[in-house]
Amino acid sequence: MDIPFTVSARPDTGLYNAKLGIWLFLASEVMLFGGLFSAYIFLRVGADYHWPIHELPVLPGFVNTMVLIASSVTIVMAWASLKLRRIFQFKLFMAITVACAGVFMVLKGFEYNAKFHHYSVELQDGTILTGHLPQGYEIKFGEATELSLTIQSENAAMDANPVKYVFPYLEGEAPAFKLADGSEIRLDKAGFSKLKKETVAAAREKIEKRKQELVEAGKKGEADALNVVPPTTVKLTAVSPMKFSVKPSKTFGYTAESITFKDGTVVKGKLLDDRMTLEVDGVDARSVADKEKSLAWEKKYLGEDWKKVFIANRDHAQHEFKEKYGDGRDPLKSATLQKHSYFMHIHSTTPSDHAPEGAGHSASNEAPAAAEGGHGDEAHGHHPTVVLDKKDISFFSNFTPKLNTYYAIYFTLTGLHGLHVVAGALVLAWFWLCNGKLLKTNPEHLANRVEVGGLFWHFVDLVWIFLFPLLYLL
Amino acid sequence: MADNLEEIQKSIKKYIIIGSLLIVFTVITVGLSYVELPTHGMNIMVGMIVATFKAGLVALIFMHLNHERSVIYKILAFTVAFAIVLFLLFHFSHVDPLVFKDFDATSAVTH
Repeated sequence: MDIPFTVSARPDTGLYNAKLGIWLFLASEVMLFGGLFSAYIFLRVGADYHWPIHELPVLPGFVNTMVLIASSVTIVMAWASLKLRRIFQFKLFMAITVACAGVFMVLKGFEYNAKFHHYSVELQDGTILTGHLPQGYEIKFGEATELSLTIQSENAAMDANPVKYVFPYLEGEAPAFKLADGSEIRLDKAGFSKLKKETVAAAREKIEKRKQELVEAGKKGEADALNVVPPTTVKLTAVSPMKFSVKPSKTFGYTAESITFKDGTVVKGKLLDDRMTLEVDGVDARSVADKEKSLAWEKKYLGEDWKKVFIANRDHAQHEFKEKYGDGRDPLKSATLQKHSYFMHIHSTTPSDHAPEGAGHSASNEAPAAAEGGHGDEAHGHHPTVVLDKKDISFFSNFTPKLNTYYAIYFTLTGLHGLHVVAGALVLAWFWLCNGKLLKTNPEHLANRVEVGGLFWHFVDLVWIFLFPLLYLL
Repeated sequence: MADNLEEIQKSIKKYIIIGSLLIVFTVITVGLSYVELPTHGMNIMVGMIVATFKAGLVALIFMHLNHERSVIYKILAFTVAFAIVLFLLFHFSHVDPLVFKDFDATSAVTH
């Protein structure tokens, strides 16, 4: 069947069908992104933290804007070239457009990756330390000999499965375990499955026996009510002590004596170490009432010398603000000044190497971009390392949606936009590479396809025109 | 739609000019974001005005909305109306539904 009006215009609309179609689709796309921009406004108006301004790396964002604008020009040029039957130019412009999409996604990939490896640690007094976790963050738990498995007899959301949820975090090989009756077992896959089978069978048998007794005693109603077989807790003792090294997120929680894994298994032993080693690249004291008494300046953490740098940095920013605006502006109302004064970026190992920030206004502005953008291995080793006590940490996360609503909407909007870039690039690549036959037989039809694909591509550019200032600059 | 081949030929130059304009305005957007206006709200306002202007250029020139069939404008009129409602929704979160007045948190604290 021939699809009508692929080349010529339909008399009533005055358009070929695909064009009307793409505009209807773009209208729904405006609603989709509009809803998310609306969410952005709500989240920003309602934020109970300092909304990040110039916190994302501006340079890659800026380059990506250029790349998208360039690709918008090349796609419309590709269409015009095809209309004029300049086939070589058409193919060249299509190739550049798709390449631009590739560059955009690669830069985006670097940006996302840096976020995943960069952490924000909030201390109990509100101080936020940003930096990297060179060793990751795992708690050490040792002298563990007792294991309590809660084995379900019926289907349940959570069932003991130490092979999957406990032993992966064990240092070294799993030892043999002794059951209550003194027999010894190995908790490998086969061993555990045998234990589970026997335990469930025993639990069922016990219930059946009880039922039988009730029936014999003439209590049939009570016997019928016993239709759920309860879980059994099996206590095992390791023949040699175990040592665990596990991310807190892989447990339900822990105390000084016990740790509960995600399958409900409780291991008793001794907490050895739950401190966090952080390479600090920023101190944000904006939420601390008395900034000079922030936990960050305690001797065990950054100490007095860094505090002096912090104070000098603050005084410099405030002096500069006053010089620039006189008394005409309220320094307390300037979010930028608050940030420059109380959010110190660190780019040296010791305070004495720390160049005074803000040799020029723009220099201090670029600092967060540099600190964020220059990730990877070279970023390590140029920052002081602190070892944080667990009791001082109130929250920590990498720079992902978990951290705050800003990063949630950042990943939602840029992620959805990125998917549009990929989808658009795939469609355009198809027109470029796989429509050779149509190019020869009906170039006008292909030109219409390219125009429609181009309209989508411009829309993707248009969304980015708003995303870039809203997320990176303002 | 520029179906006329001569017109297409002419518009090629136009596309390059608009592309360069967009780049210039991107540089301006970045630059302006480092200039501290009396309130940050003003920075956001200026940034959005420049962005809307850029978006307008893309829509009018690259997407050919400066000369399209009326049915497309009719579709877009609805879209724009609904989008504006979406952006103004947050305003209701600032209005006290009992007295229909703007709720001002700062004055509520000081008085």
